[in-house]
Amino acid sequence: MKPLLNFFLIDDSAFDLFIYEKLLIKSGITESVRTFNSAREALKHLANHGSTLPEIIILLDLQMPDMNGFEFIDEFDLLPEAVKAQIKIFMLSSTIDTRDIEKAKASPHIIDLLPKPLEVNFLKKKLDM
Amino acid sequence: MNEKAISILYIDDEEHNLHSFKASFRKQYDITITSSVVEAEQFMETKDFCIVLADQRMPHTTGVQFFEKIRTKFPKPIRILITGHTDISAAIDAINKGEVFRFIDKPWDYTYVETAISSAYEIYKTREDLKQRNMELQKANEELDKFVYSASHDLRAPLMSVLGIVNLALLEEDIKSQNEYLELIRQSVKKLDTFIINIIDYYKNARGVPVVTDISFEELVTEVQATIQYLPEYGNLTMTTDIDQTGVFQSDVMKLRIIFNNLINNAIKFQDKSKPDPYVHLTVKSTPTEAKIIVADNGSGIKESDQDKIFRMFYRAGATNSGSGIGLYIVHEAISKLGGEISVSSKIGQGSIFEINIPSILK
Repeated sequence: MKPLLNFFLIDDSAFDLFIYEKLLIKSGITESVRTFNSAREALKHLANHGSTLPEIIILLDLQMPDMNGFEFIDEFDLLPEAVKAQIKIFMLSSTIDTRDIEKAKASPHIIDLLPKPLEVNFLKKKLDM
Repeated sequence: MNEKAISILYIDDEEHNLHSFKASFRKQYDITITSSVVEAEQFMETKDFCIVLADQRMPHTTGVQFFEKIRTKFPKPIRILITGHTDISAAIDAINKGEVFRFIDKPWDYTYVETAISSAYEIYKTREDLKQRNMELQKANEELDKFVYSASHDLRAPLMSVLGIVNLALLEEDIKSQNEYLELIRQSVKKLDTFIINIIDYYKNARGVPVVTDISFEELVTEVQATIQYLPEYGNLTMTTDIDQTGVFQSDVMKLRIIFNNLINNAIKFQDKSKPDPYVHLTVKSTPTEAKIIVADNGSGIKESDQDKIFRMFYRAGATNSGSGIGLYIVHEAISKLGGEISVSSKIGQGSIFEINIPSILK
């Protein structure tokens, strides 16, 4: 059996953090979900504890005040390679704007853009599970 | 012609022509005269002219040559050539090439010149108006673009949250926890509704016809208070008011309601729950000429770097609990439509003070 995955959720909506944390755990895909209500806070965590973290899957919201999803990616790019290698990022957003979708597709750090609401089966497929 | 006088530059090598022109028209127009094309160009550098008149026959440079030279650098003024009958073919050529709008033949006659200037000014004004309209349209389009982008997010996000909760609820076997999900759905729907109400407010404010009436601040504030005090997020906030109105103040009550509603709602939303006595204090001082409104709270405050940005459309300061970023934008729009001003002073952790000055609108 595959080891359980570790998830980080980054979203300014307390709602969506609550919903997706529950959903991920209920789906049995993980038992470890950590939530961040700001991208800056998540970035700080990665910068401080990156080297000691296990493999992580990040579900990243796009439209957030202060630092949005794409700005987070720009900062993420500056982290040490060893830290980045441990992390897989999916963007999770309700956007239907083609510019956003193209930008997400073009980013080397974003594996895919998942539409909200999250479909766990869709995510599993993306993770080859 | 009680607005700004039409500005005219007239170039002629014969001084007496210049002076007789100025003598005839100086009461009507704002006239600058010179006998030198070099000086004429210098004048154009420093002043905007609506119309430039030039004599065709001048030593060194003809009127048409002068127009050719200035045309690209100063495209705005309308060019009129003054010429004697002998130059008629040159003048026709110049008109056909688009160098001049009209020509006036010498010796000129008062009414003829006046007509030429009026029609030239009409063209000038039409072009300027068109340019102005184009700029406004461009701004409106950019705003619309931004609006559609952010609005689509703010409309879809709460809906997708609801859908997410429904999906989750369907996975849940425990019936009791359904109530918790319903509560979340309720909050999400409320958020969506607030956004839609804001959009309608914005639209009414931007496009609606202002209705100016006598304002009673006492009544207005009581009305706004009635709609907010039962909000669940009101908490144990204390709202106090100090309204001092003397005489009749006139304004658009709808815009004022939008202003009060948003500012007070913000004070409620961003109250500092860790403080034992969260408050919002509203002061209104109104005279027949102007009203000063102050909304002060001891809430969470606004970061200094955010203070000049909070009135922008869809700017959201603060990571938690923030709305769509449209409220203060609408407030700002409403205040500028009323000819007033708003300023903010705030310290993070201590609170915010919004100060508004609005003139009374004279009917």
